[in-house]
Amino acid sequence: MQLFIEIYGFLNVTLRGFILTAQSLTLGGLAFLLLPAVAEARLGETARRRAERLIFWSALALCAGEALAAAALGFMLSGTLGLPAGELLGAEAVKIDLLASVLAGAVAFFISSRRDALPAAGLAGLFLLATQIGATHAASRLDHVAGLYVAEFAHMLGVAIWIGGIPYFLIALGAAQTGSRRYVAARFSMISAAGVAMLLGAGVYMAADYLGEPEALYGASYGVMLTAKAGLLLGLLLLGGMNFLTGRELRTDPRGSVSRLRRFAEVEIGVGLTALFCAASLTSLPPARDLPNDRASWNEVVERVEPRWPIRLESPDHASLSTSQPRMIDPGAPRAYAMGETAAPPRNAEDIAWSEYNHHWAGIFVLLMGLLALAEHDRRLAPIAKHWPLTFLGLAGFLFLRADEEVWPLGHLGLIESLRDPEIAQHRLMIVLIILFGLFEWRVRLGKLKAAWAPYVFPVTTAVAAAFLLTHSHGLANPKEEMLIEITHTPLALVGVAAGWARWLELRLDDGPARRIASLVWPVAFILAGLLLMFYREA
Amino acid sequence: MTMPRSYLYFLAVPLVFVADAAFAHAIVVASTPLPNETIAASETEVEVRFNSRVDRARSRLTLVGPGGASVVLPLADGAAETLKSRASGLEDGRYRILWQTLSVDGHITHGEISFQVKR
Repeated sequence: MQLFIEIYGFLNVTLRGFILTAQSLTLGGLAFLLLPAVAEARLGETARRRAERLIFWSALALCAGEALAAAALGFMLSGTLGLPAGELLGAEAVKIDLLASVLAGAVAFFISSRRDALPAAGLAGLFLLATQIGATHAASRLDHVAGLYVAEFAHMLGVAIWIGGIPYFLIALGAAQTGSRRYVAARFSMISAAGVAMLLGAGVYMAADYLGEPEALYGASYGVMLTAKAGLLLGLLLLGGMNFLTGRELRTDPRGSVSRLRRFAEVEIGVGLTALFCAASLTSLPPARDLPNDRASWNEVVERVEPRWPIRLESPDHASLSTSQPRMIDPGAPRAYAMGETAAPPRNAEDIAWSEYNHHWAGIFVLLMGLLALAEHDRRLAPIAKHWPLTFLGLAGFLFLRADEEVWPLGHLGLIESLRDPEIAQHRLMIVLIILFGLFEWRVRLGKLKAAWAPYVFPVTTAVAAAFLLTHSHGLANPKEEMLIEITHTPLALVGVAAGWARWLELRLDDGPARRIASLVWPVAFILAGLLLMFYREA
Repeated sequence: MTMPRSYLYFLAVPLVFVADAAFAHAIVVASTPLPNETIAASETEVEVRFNSRVDRARSRLTLVGPGGASVVLPLADGAAETLKSRASGLEDGRYRILWQTLSVDGHITHGEISFQVKR
C-alpha cells in the first residue's frame, strides 16, 4: 500500500493524460464523421470503416481508463481512510469516473452497431464530455463556476475536434482519390479552425480565472506549466498553418504530393499528445490565484535562470553533504502535501553545489552530443562525428557515479542494498537504458542496423522522454521552490520535444528545404538543452 | 522533493520514469487553531479551510496528543470548503491536527497543523 501511495500521484497524472488522449480521439472521430463539413460522398467506405474502428478502440480505451481511475482513487481512499466500499462509491470523483466509463462504453457500443446509430454515439459523446467537467478544476471551485464549466467543455471539445481529428484526417486523406484530396484538406481546415477558436477562447477565459493576475504566469508553477502548454500550442499552430498552405497548394494542383501534409500531421499528433499530457499534469496543481503568498518575484526568476560563468566544474566534498544528517521540518506554516509527498529535509549549500555540478557536467555531455550531431552535416567531419551516440556512455558513467550520492562507490549504501529504494532503483535502470540506447543509435548511425523502424527509436524515445519531463505530478509543500525548479525544467522539456519531432521529420520528409531545416533543428535543440543544463542553478 | 534531481539529466535520453510526488489540489488557506498557536483552554474549535470544495464524507481530521495517542474527530456540518470539529479534554503539551481531504474534483491532499496548550 505504501508503494502505491508513493506512486499514486504519477500514476494518476499518467492515467489522466491517457484518458484525455482517448477522449480526444473518441470525440474527434465523432466530430469528424458528424460535422456537416465532411460530406458523406467525399469519405469513401474504406475510410469510414477505418475511422469507426479507431473511434471504437479509443472509446474502449477510455472506458477502461476511467474504470481504472475510479478503482485507483477508491483503493487510495480505502487504504488511507479505511472506508467501506459503499462509502467509496459515494465519492463524487469516483461517480464521475464510473459514469464517464459507462458513457465511453456506450459510444463504443453504438459505433460498432448499426451505421444509423452514429447520432446516438455522438449524443453519448456529448454527455461524456459534460460528465468529464466533473474531473476538472471547475468542479471544485467556489466562484465563477458556471463560466468555468462552459469554458472547460468548450476547451476539451476544441482539443478533440482539432487534435483528436488529425488521425481521421490522415485516414480520409489516405483513402481519397487524387481529385478529392483538396476537399478533404479544405474541409478539415475548416473543422480544425473552429476547434482552435474554441480551444483558444475557452483557454484564455480559464487562464484569466485560474491565474488571477499576469505575474502568476512566471511566479507560480501553474503559470509556468500553462506557458509550456502555450508553447506547444504555438508549435501546433505553426504546423497547422504549414498544412493549411499545403492544402491550398493542392487546390491549384490536385496531383501535388500529400506526403508533406501527412508528415506534418504526424508531428501534430505527437506534439498534440504531449500537450494533452501537459494538461493532465496541470490538473495536479492548485490554480495560481490560490497561492498569492507562495510566488517567486520577477527578480528571483531572473536571478535563477540568468546564465552565470564560470559553471561549477569542481564538486564539493561528499562528506559535507546532508544525506546523513538528522531531518528537521519547519512546522511554521500550514503546509499541504500531496499523497506520497513528505517534507523534504533542508538542503545545505554543499548539497546544492553537488547538484549543480552534476547538472553542469551532464550539460557538457549533452552539448557535445549536439555539436557532434551538427558536425555530422560536414563531409570532412562526418566520419568522426557520426559516433556521437557514444557520448551517452560517458553520460551513463557519470550518472552512475554521481546521481545518487548515498550509494556506492561514493556513499554508504551498497549497490544491491540501494536497489530497495524505488527512486534509486529507477535511476539505475535508467542508466542501463541509456547505455543500451547509446549503443543502439550508434549501430543505426554506422548502418549496422538495417531494420526500417530502427532510426525512429531515437526521435520517438527522445520526444516521449521530453513529454514525461513535462508530465510530472507536483508537490505542494514548497510551492515557490517547486516553481523555481519548474522554470528551469520546462524549457528543457520543450527543446526535447522539438528535438524528437524535428528528427522524426528529417527521417520522414522527402528531400527539400523542410527536411534540411529539420535536420538542423534537432542538433541545435540538443545544444540548447546542453546549455540550459550547464547554466542550471538551484540557488 | 517533487522531482528527482537526476530527472533533469534525462532530457536527452529515452527515459520514462516515475516522479515521486503526487496528484494534489486542495490546499489550506486558513485554520483554527493557527499553526504553532498557543491556546489557554481545555477545548478548542478546529476548522481547516481549503481553496476548493471538499468531499467531507471522504475527509478526516485526527488529533494527536502530547503522548502520541490519536483520536479521529467527528466532522460537523459547515461551508463546502471547510472541515470543522471540536477538540476537548486538552491538557498542557503539543498537539497535532492531521488532516486528509478529497477535493470534489478527485484529488487527495493531507497535512498537519501543530498547536500548543498551556494553561
